Amino acid sequence: MDIEVTCSEPFGADSYKALFEEIMSDIGKSDFMDKAELVLKPDIPLFIFSVKLKTEPTNMKISDVATVRSEGDSVFMTITDERHAPEMLDQLWKKYGRRAVEQQTRFDIIVRGVKDSEIRDMVIASGEEHMKEIVGAIWRSMPEGIKVRHTYIDGMVITVVATEERIEPYMLEEAKAVHKRMQGGAEDV
Amino acid sequence: MFDVIMYDGGVYRSEELYELIEDVGGVIIQKTRSAQMLTVTMSIPAEDRKMVEAFCIEIGGEIKPVPLAGTEIAIVGPTLGRHHMPHPICDIAEQLRRYGAVTVVMGLARGRGKLTAQINLQEKTIIDEYDAAVFSLGNFKSCIEAKTDLFKDITVPVVLVSGPMPEGIDDTCEAIVSGVGRKTSRMRTAPERAKLEEIADAVETILADRKKVLEEDPMFVHPGEIKQLLEEYEPVNMCLRPAPLTLHLDGLRVKIPYDEHHEYIENMTVYGRKLKDVCTIAPSKIDDSSILIRIKTRSEIEYEDARKVEKK
Repeated sequence: MDIEVTCSEPFGADSYKALFEEIMSDIGKSDFMDKAELVLKPDIPLFIFSVKLKTEPTNMKISDVATVRSEGDSVFMTITDERHAPEMLDQLWKKYGRRAVEQQTRFDIIVRGVKDSEIRDMVIASGEEHMKEIVGAIWRSMPEGIKVRHTYIDGMVITVVATEERIEPYMLEEAKAVHKRMQGGAEDV
Repeated sequence: MFDVIMYDGGVYRSEELYELIEDVGGVIIQKTRSAQMLTVTMSIPAEDRKMVEAFCIEIGGEIKPVPLAGTEIAIVGPTLGRHHMPHPICDIAEQLRRYGAVTVVMGLARGRGKLTAQINLQEKTIIDEYDAAVFSLGNFKSCIEAKTDLFKDITVPVVLVSGPMPEGIDDTCEAIVSGVGRKTSRMRTAPERAKLEEIADAVETILADRKKVLEEDPMFVHPGEIKQLLEEYEPVNMCLRPAPLTLHLDGLRVKIPYDEHHEYIENMTVYGRKLKDVCTIAPSKIDDSSILIRIKTRSEIEYEDARKVEKK
């Protein structure tokens, strides 16, 4: 992930770049991010954190992360994207119970007594939930006292502007400019 | 002047060690036995240190310095939220414990933010119960410089730990250690360990100065002697809280409720005098959970005695 930091204080810039990277990595969201821009103005205080995701979050189905085939009354799955394996198992256990679901190897799962069409369309991760987690991670990486926040979400770009007491119009303007820049447009668009 | 050292060795001839400590006029601060191994933290007169050390080596143990033994230190963060805890606050507390101190981690109710950070009177008085306080603040210079109100009225020595080095606030605390700030992971790299040692050394230097000041007008009894006396009091003996008797530089904290036990403690005798005559005994500000004993100095007691004679 490419992180660009704008801050008048060198120590704050370096440490917030590291903090942002560490927090996103801890929450497991850094792989989904293409780039991030952090504007830190502690003297106001005003913080603008903007991230561009690699892809727009959508509902993830089992057929998106595993190959599914049916044999007799069992469905065999081979996981192709391991990042989603825990959610996949979780949903299968929730729906069919642990007795019916068997994980033979790291990548192979068998579910007994079900139809493959049912399995293919099963949603394992919702796009909205994913977005919420990313916004939560951005809030977490901001300083604790900066609680007055406004969020812009457009497709793949999320921008959070935050201050301590009240958000002034010029703060929103600045955040919008960063948001546009991250979307790939000119600032005055 | 008393020196605090730690014996680390076996239990072999440990009774002789206890006798020797008693003979030189020292006290045992903490004794921990695990199977055949024993650690004894003791406070002994500086002039007898060599002799005691030689005896410890003779019985097969070794001597480790614990410069902060016999002190209780508060490590204070803006809040106990995940932005500040557990790192670096708990890392600092752990380092101070390695130096022998008893530590307490505290978060303020409204300490976060730049314009809205505040500390109330109750929090200040609680921090003042300790021997020293370490305040851990964040990564922005302007923010740290704006938050001096949090610690400028604290009467015990304060060490400020921050990210960048703040300017113009040297008069509000005893020492400033920069280069730490907000962290999300444990301070385990070599430069970070060195920084933790720097913090502990700063606390040690400040408390060494405080000890020298106390030596100029010595206390009526050493806190360790009152500790020995209280160890035999059953409620203390039965107390399950960690370190029920915690030494301070000028007294001690007894972790039993004040209302139920203060009368008994006040009437205990030391060197033929009641404890209430040679100490101030007060409830702790933390929910009446413990008793604070501050030992009066010899000059204070002489003055009070003279006043009593005058009144008669």
